[in-house]
Amino acid sequence: MLGALGGIYAIWLREVKRAIRDRGQFIGGLSRPLVWVLILGIGLNPYFRAEIYGDVRFVVPYTYLQFLFPAVIVLNVMYTGVQSAVSMIWDREFGFLKEVLTSPMPRSHILFGKILGGATVAFAHGCLVLLIAQFTDVSLRMTDLYLGLLLMFGLGFGLTCVGAVIANRIRSFEGFGVFSNVVILPLYFTSSSIFPLNPALSGSQTRVVYPEWLVAVIKANPVTYAVDALRGVFIGFNQFDPGIGPVVIAAIAIVGFAVALFDFSRQS
Amino acid sequence: MVGGDVSEGTAPVVEIAGLGKRYGRTLALDGIDLSIGRNEVFALLGPNGAGKTTLIHILCTLLKPDTGTARIAGFDVSRQPLKARRQLGVVFQEPSLDSRLTVQENLNFHGLVHRVPFRLRRRRITEMLELVELTEWRHALVRTLSAGMKRRVEIARALIHDAAVVILDEPTVGLDAQSRERIWAYLGKLRRERELTLIVTTHYIDEVDSCDRVCIVDHGKILALDTPEALRARYGVEQVRITPRDLATRTGIMEQNPNAIAEASGDIVLPGATHGVVDRLLGGFGTGISNISIERPSLESVFLTLTGREIRDQAAERPTLARPNARTGEPVN
Repeated sequence: MLGALGGIYAIWLREVKRAIRDRGQFIGGLSRPLVWVLILGIGLNPYFRAEIYGDVRFVVPYTYLQFLFPAVIVLNVMYTGVQSAVSMIWDREFGFLKEVLTSPMPRSHILFGKILGGATVAFAHGCLVLLIAQFTDVSLRMTDLYLGLLLMFGLGFGLTCVGAVIANRIRSFEGFGVFSNVVILPLYFTSSSIFPLNPALSGSQTRVVYPEWLVAVIKANPVTYAVDALRGVFIGFNQFDPGIGPVVIAAIAIVGFAVALFDFSRQS
Repeated sequence: MVGGDVSEGTAPVVEIAGLGKRYGRTLALDGIDLSIGRNEVFALLGPNGAGKTTLIHILCTLLKPDTGTARIAGFDVSRQPLKARRQLGVVFQEPSLDSRLTVQENLNFHGLVHRVPFRLRRRRITEMLELVELTEWRHALVRTLSAGMKRRVEIARALIHDAAVVILDEPTVGLDAQSRERIWAYLGKLRRERELTLIVTTHYIDEVDSCDRVCIVDHGKILALDTPEALRARYGVEQVRITPRDLATRTGIMEQNPNAIAEASGDIVLPGATHGVVDRLLGGFGTGISNISIERPSLESVFLTLTGREIRDQAAERPTLARPNARTGEPVN
């Protein structure tokens, strides 16, 4: 049993070491939240309030910066998680995978170590966003923070599994670059990340609703519920039942790992 | 089995029976039977597409055979792959190190996934780095090493755990003569120090001479299997080398012997020599010949006799081949 842990530890450690030595990935993980929160957030902040009977009110009961902040955490976790699958393509391309496949480790352990490593890095990139919390007027309370970190790690694990499933289906770097942009950004934009689901605030605005297809897409997107869960924890605002988010995150992780393991065992 | 017994009558450590593998229409392995003894250095020789890499991949448990069985130290590679892998050390043809990790980190990774206990792992890493003369490079990132050094790290890595069988797929390919010699020196030293079976594929035919047995494969079949000496005696062709004194003699000999090969040096090589041929040549051309000699059969000629191909022809294109097709897992060579 201890020996099995040693193997998983070795694979996990390798992922983490590689991430630490990859400066480009770190810069991306730091600049992405800065751009999204400071430029988009500050820029659009004034437009997300309306004047009602002389009171300045926000569309959602928070500033846009606060509204956006949890979504950017998800964005960073999502980018890193899905991108960590790039290293699976690397391993296959540059032969390292064979070194692992000829070791006496069961396939499930190999995949678990790999995804645990990717999840750790994705989680760390999510934590980078927390560093700019004070610029967005989000106050992090310890009790919320623990739950938030747990959800972030779960999400990182799930999205790394999704990345692994994608990596198993495409075979080249170029393919992956296109795919990740085709997958990550649409998932992000249709997760109610940058605008609330219900634009109605005042009587005149109730007539301005989003088209049904968009609402349907948002509701079908599992990332919507992950964003909602983090929003609930960090700013106390939920658009859905607060219980749904954690369940969806757990489901992405479990189903994602099962599919990734099925693919991985079948191919090698 | 075509010939040659397992050396010294010990229990075979690798047993292969009726092994077959087909890719679509191509039969990559056609009923291979083979057994390799403990402490043996076994060479696998064959032209491109002969089935060497397929055989190696099956032994490494990376590929499942269609028919037949292969056992490593008694463990069936398709039914008990985890146990078989524990007995195996592999040096792949293409580099398989993580170039972003240091030498030490790569070796430690291997030790951990092979469940080598901490103390033994630390000791082995030191010993094996000493063996391949890379002790000072222990903390260098792998990507800063030369190709020859990387290959030496891979050899060290395959020996970190207690493998009964070490498979080296073209360990010297693409390396300069000095590095090749070094690698064989390490293997020789290792063999004296530790009980180990080595299975080596190579296309440098001169390297095979130091092996215990040589197995020549082509079209997925074993063509010959014996010690280098026995192979030479049985399939090798002696040849007469003639150095003519002048052009007239040269053309004369060439005309009389249609199977003679004119070499760029001016020498003429005549395959299938007997003393009768020498007598006839001396009688016919006498003083026109400045030198005449009978050459001992080379393994090169054994290979040529058996496969009808020169092994050297493939040398240049070799390094890029045998990468398995990612989608089907089918080796390209």
